Amino acid sequence: MEGSIFTRNRSVPVFIGVLTLLALGVTVLSEAYGTGALSVSFTKVLGMTLCLCLAALAMDLVWGYCGILSLGHFAFFGLGGYVIGMWLMTARTETIVRASLEGAVIPPTEAEVSTATALQIFSVVGATDWPWMWAVSDSLFLSLVMVVLVPGLLALVFGWLAFRSRVTGVYLSILTQAMTLALSLYLFQNDTGLRGNNGLSGLQNIPGLETIGQDRISVWFFWASALVLGLAYVGAAWMVSGKFGNIIRGIRDDEQRVRFLGYRVEGYKLFVFTFTGILCGVAGALYYPQAGIVNPDEIAPIASIYLAVWVAIGGRGRLYGAVIGAAVVSLLSTYFTGGRAPDIDLGVYVIEWVDWWPVLLGLGFVLVTLFAPKGLGGLVDSLVRKDAP
Amino acid sequence: MSTLLEVQGISVTFDGFRAINNLSFVIGCPEMRAVIGPNGAGKTTFMDIVTGKTRPDTGTVRWGEMGTSLLSMSEAQIAQAGVGRKFQRPTVFEDQTVWDNLRVSLKKPRGPLSALFDRVTEADRARIAEIAAEIGLSDQLQRPAGILSHGQKQWLEIGMLLAQDPKLLLVDEPAAGMTTEEREHTTALLKRLAESHAVVVVEHDMEFVRRLDCKVTVLHEGSVLAEGSLDHVMANERVIEVYLGR
Repeated sequence: MEGSIFTRNRSVPVFIGVLTLLALGVTVLSEAYGTGALSVSFTKVLGMTLCLCLAALAMDLVWGYCGILSLGHFAFFGLGGYVIGMWLMTARTETIVRASLEGAVIPPTEAEVSTATALQIFSVVGATDWPWMWAVSDSLFLSLVMVVLVPGLLALVFGWLAFRSRVTGVYLSILTQAMTLALSLYLFQNDTGLRGNNGLSGLQNIPGLETIGQDRISVWFFWASALVLGLAYVGAAWMVSGKFGNIIRGIRDDEQRVRFLGYRVEGYKLFVFTFTGILCGVAGALYYPQAGIVNPDEIAPIASIYLAVWVAIGGRGRLYGAVIGAAVVSLLSTYFTGGRAPDIDLGVYVIEWVDWWPVLLGLGFVLVTLFAPKGLGGLVDSLVRKDAP
Repeated sequence: MSTLLEVQGISVTFDGFRAINNLSFVIGCPEMRAVIGPNGAGKTTFMDIVTGKTRPDTGTVRWGEMGTSLLSMSEAQIAQAGVGRKFQRPTVFEDQTVWDNLRVSLKKPRGPLSALFDRVTEADRARIAEIAAEIGLSDQLQRPAGILSHGQKQWLEIGMLLAQDPKLLLVDEPAAGMTTEEREHTTALLKRLAESHAVVVVEHDMEFVRRLDCKVTVLHEGSVLAEGSLDHVMANERVIEVYLGR
């Protein structure tokens, strides 16, 4: 029980070590700073994978530790992307507009620049004015604040309504699915101010860094993702290793008992739900500048279900399990659906992995459930224990 | 001895079934009371009402010297006010150690932030050791609660109630499924607790109730049928009828 988080939870130093080695490895192999063995696009895939690991870490806190099977946490992830995307698009479009008006005889006024920028961004959905929700999109600082506030507030309000009414189990899961579906359908509409199904694009172009190539930016984002994932891991390990962890695991196993010990279970659930919603928002804000585009499809109900599948395959309630699950499954998914995997010609039928990947994933899920009920993280546990005296 | 809990004329109906019918009940501190009655007499519903899980349709539940109403309080607030409840089935946190189970139960601020920044003090350590000795689990502190025997789990749950430092303990069938030796241990434990707490024991087993040697309240169809010493109530015609089904 004593000592710092690094000695209390042995996975913390190991995790930080592996993450540091990975960051060094990516740097040494990158095009910008090293041998160039890693392409820019694959560096981005790795950086994005770390963001998905961060979302899975949040999912493990809320589901693996607190027992709330939220099937809507990817909505917070997408919102984080949308919020940072608004700033990226505004700032970049404004730069382009200013450049194009440079040669004008009469220098443009600020209002003219603003109008022209809005026209650039929203003409695709037939609008010309700034929607209200873009109010702070011209400020990086306020946008970063909103990355925390917007997903946090949605999680807080949704959680407050759901937990106060003591909605639990499968009913809560269905409600969270409804939430992410509703948000996705809302964003699909053209007149909501977020460019409908076009989403926000060109997010890989970071304003102010126009002269710096994507080769360097991709490595920087990888570092940033690794740093945030590392900090979140230490924070999450600290949260679950003390009394707070005892209480939320108690809520998972026997909510009634915790309540009769005098704890307001709803308050704890709301705390964990909101905190993990914010974590997902931050993960999304780091993910989408690497992905380049965010659209309503990203937060379709299936995305949140995948998040739960990653954590289930990785093994619940051990933090590193969720990270391993997310990394393995999402990288495999990229491999099989990205056209890298060679199709198998059976003569009468060609197995095209793009179509067969969900089948493979489903099969993997069944196998893990049958033969490694504690997930990939559980396999790691049994290997480590074997080595220990 | 002052009045600790005063339940006046409560009634509760579930889908037309009257589980509790104009029930009144008073207990002081310190006092031991056994509540007996056949299945469906309303024993568990009574506990649900006192602990805030179920709201009665009518009646009052008053608590402590100030006579505060428990009816407007949540389960957590009632527990913080000093009502501890042990369930029929032993409910402990099975994948956590005995030490952790007791630590979570210790009377300390209950908010999420207090829990996040909670540090184990010397006083906490001493209190946990003291409770562990009381419930006979001193040498089991580092074991997961899930591997304890049935009887040990029951004691651990009683220990968790004690850690909350309650004034009133509601104990539902503490002796169910216990060996003779474990029963004796439990009886001694409850009697010791009743020296400084109000203890309400719900029990089916007459032999166990006899050993507790305390005032008995007999419930039947949601109201009090008889009250007094065990011999007194067992001599009551109506009680014999209810129990022996004449």
